[in-house]
Amino acid sequence: MANYFNTLPLREQLAELGKCRFMHLDEFDEGVDALRGKKMVIIGCGAQGLNQGLNLRDSGLDVSYALREQAIAQQRQSWKNATENGFTVGTYEELLPTADVVLNLTPDKQHTNVVNTIMPMMKHGSCLSYSHGFNIVEEGMQVREDITVIMVAPKCPGSEVRAEYVRGFGVPTLIAVHEANDPNGEGLALAKAYAVGTGGHKAGVLMSSFIAEVKSDLMGEQTILCGMLQTGSLLCFDKMMEEGIDPGYASKLIQYGWETITEALKYGGVTNMMDRLSNPAKIRAFELAQEMKDIMRPLYWKHQDDIMTGTFSKTMMADWANDDSELLGWRAETAETAFEKTPAGDTEISEQEYFDNGILMVAMVKAGVELAFETMTSAGIIAESAYYESLHETPLIANTVARKKLYEMNATISDTAEYGCYLYNHACVPLLGDFMKGIRSDVIGKGLDVADNAVDNARLIEVNDAIRSHPVEAIGGVLRGHMADMKRIV
Amino acid sequence: MICLDALSVDFDERFQLHDINWTIQPGEHWLIAGANGSGKSALAAVLAGEGTHLSGTLSGVPDRVALVSYERQAELIEAERRKDDADIMDVVSEGTPVAEIIDADCHDPDLAQTLIDTLGLRPLMGRAFRKLSTGETRKVMLIRALTSQPDVLVLDEPFDGLDHNSMAWLQDHLSALAEVMPMVIVLNRFDECPDFITHVAYLENGQLLHRVDRDNERAYAELYQLLHLKTSGLEIPAADPAARLPALNPDAPLVRLTGASVRYAENTVFEDLNWTIEANQSWQLSGPNGSGKTCLLSLITGDHPQCYVNDIMAFGFQRGTGESIWQIKQFIGYVSTALQWEYRVGTGLRNVIISGFYDSIGLYTKSTDTQKAIADEWLALLGMSERADEPFNTLSFGDQRLVLIARAMVKHPPLLILDEPCLGLDDMNRQLVLALVERICLDSETTVLYVNHREQDRVPGIDNHLTLTE
Repeated sequence: MANYFNTLPLREQLAELGKCRFMHLDEFDEGVDALRGKKMVIIGCGAQGLNQGLNLRDSGLDVSYALREQAIAQQRQSWKNATENGFTVGTYEELLPTADVVLNLTPDKQHTNVVNTIMPMMKHGSCLSYSHGFNIVEEGMQVREDITVIMVAPKCPGSEVRAEYVRGFGVPTLIAVHEANDPNGEGLALAKAYAVGTGGHKAGVLMSSFIAEVKSDLMGEQTILCGMLQTGSLLCFDKMMEEGIDPGYASKLIQYGWETITEALKYGGVTNMMDRLSNPAKIRAFELAQEMKDIMRPLYWKHQDDIMTGTFSKTMMADWANDDSELLGWRAETAETAFEKTPAGDTEISEQEYFDNGILMVAMVKAGVELAFETMTSAGIIAESAYYESLHETPLIANTVARKKLYEMNATISDTAEYGCYLYNHACVPLLGDFMKGIRSDVIGKGLDVADNAVDNARLIEVNDAIRSHPVEAIGGVLRGHMADMKRIV
Repeated sequence: MICLDALSVDFDERFQLHDINWTIQPGEHWLIAGANGSGKSALAAVLAGEGTHLSGTLSGVPDRVALVSYERQAELIEAERRKDDADIMDVVSEGTPVAEIIDADCHDPDLAQTLIDTLGLRPLMGRAFRKLSTGETRKVMLIRALTSQPDVLVLDEPFDGLDHNSMAWLQDHLSALAEVMPMVIVLNRFDECPDFITHVAYLENGQLLHRVDRDNERAYAELYQLLHLKTSGLEIPAADPAARLPALNPDAPLVRLTGASVRYAENTVFEDLNWTIEANQSWQLSGPNGSGKTCLLSLITGDHPQCYVNDIMAFGFQRGTGESIWQIKQFIGYVSTALQWEYRVGTGLRNVIISGFYDSIGLYTKSTDTQKAIADEWLALLGMSERADEPFNTLSFGDQRLVLIARAMVKHPPLLILDEPCLGLDDMNRQLVLALVERICLDSETTVLYVNHREQDRVPGIDNHLTLTE
């Protein structure tokens, strides 16, 4: 199979990369009607599969699970998940021939195998749904012409997809239709109804394309989202050890610091995150971020280039073929890092202290978000996509780090994200080596040692302007405005 | 130290106090609180030596206890009247003049003269005591008590019937007196509680249920709330007329389970269970831990995934035929400890209550002015009007439970499910919750499904019982 993206002429590549639109709630007035009475069969009963199925059924839809014969015969976990929740479970042969919509919710690396197996069994004119476009875009899967291919991708872990639905809300969701496979023109209607069935419409739906989803998702997850937090955690911890900071304190500052800092990012963008610092600290963080952006820019470009050309997916698929030897090796290394092995101490750290004593971490988030956004948009990805795959999702990963630190964070995210995260980390740690030599505990661990908070007016104005006029802030303001209309009133 | 040890007292077979355990230490000033008929005045009177002791002991009561109460006031007036009747001379008796009544037990004539002026009784000194108005009589009683130099002062509703100025003066005077004299005060209105009060005794049905140190702010606040729920004239707020639920067939049961079962790979929770819940037929569901009570309820609410493989008819829907879970939940109000755990949000109390209109945890929709007004009425009923914008997750466990019950009831659902609403609550909070549930049962047409395994937490008005066994 050939890389699908690479088969397209440039103008189509650009057109597909440029697709992303925030949909309005009234576009979902028809609810789940397009799926009502249709037989939906889910393949894969992991966290996404099970929880999406529970939501869809609670929305009045007909859901069952197709499992491999061995999984049923051996009553594996996937079989237990489905049966204990009162779902009909059957083999591919039993369920797929009558299915109107097949939801492929298996891990990326199984897609080629799964889709090749099920395609011959699927009925004429049915629909195949993905939650990630890797298989179509990077692996070039060719789906039978009569089958409609759509994507519905809730932008949260499966457990959260369920929890938010039960609360009466949902999680932000990305939908797309694979233009090459929309024979009856019903792809969008089906994708919208599916998003309503999982509750996603209440939290906001983005209409994108398979290509934009894959190219932006890969870029975001391996650079700012997972890569930068991993690299930042390791560098900041080692620096604090060097500077004689208490290990328990350092570990806690990092583990919970990302979450606290990016909470401010979530509410008011980079501007608000930076505004949480004192004026002298803000200027310092700004300068550190500028310096890091210059150092890391070629690395972000390389990641984006490798993603666009398919080099990244080719490399990773080679590792899949090699029993994940690189991935598992890197995962084991992560477990052995000093940060990972030092438990968080029980010193109380106030919310503000995470900012005051974590100036470098703030600078890293700023540098990473802005670089990822700049790189994506300069590669033809539309600002909306770039925003979601950089700034918007950073707090989600930061939250995972707060709960589980790095090793578990890596085990929780997709294998694709994890592989990219390690690639980034291995390049970025040495890249920032010289820069880190100049870092002292005033920007990580202790906070600035200044007599007062005086700053030069002109410099402050300059810095504030630069922060506020970055393009990620412009699009962020618009999108957060949309979200606020729908979001919980707290 | 005054000590009541397992004391039971009878008052002319009209009223009894049961098994009272109470100690008044030197330096303490007590407020006796409780709803009407709870025994407040009786307990105060016991300190003044009234009532027949049936069992237990009363010790340490000093010689001189002054009691001001309606009963005492009535007795004195009655005595005056009898004196009049008993007069064998055929002359019209004016009765004892006020001055004489005040002098009768006066140990501090100077104070008496001051009080007579302060309370404006000077012009009445020559008038017959029984010709006075109620308020004037009350003032005379107060002067008698205050000038008798008692060891303990017991005042039953001392502020009742006093005009504003007299009341303010009395409060100041009592505050000053509190420095030197132990006091026990009975009050119906908790918010009139004078600052010098150090402890509160709470009575219900002739029993002393709570003794709260006023320094314990939380317990004091809870007691305040309990009294508020027991005594305020507020009613259960009405439903939102703009958000009327779809009409249900009045002849069909609300819920019918036929041959219901819940099974996991390892065990069967229950099987072949038939249960029909008719409208206006409240149920109590009991059974030991692990017998599947919550599991059974979640089949009804739709929270249990196996509701789709059971024969369940709920609110006109045969489950699993294309209805959504929100179409079921709109008919149900639900409270449980699990819900409380789920409800970890910083949403303000008003919005938490409003979220009951949408069956959501947190509020994701703009609420209407009517909904806000209804939520505020609920907060008033709970005695939490001042706290409408406080974040829910900063409330005490018991207060959270009360707010969640209000949330469940706000839309007046046809079915209210209370899954162990008292679980995890201390005695006071349990009574708070039960007081609220009792009002709901009395004031609304909601069918209640009440789960508990504590016999004493029964709610009046629930007649049907379903017991699950292991």
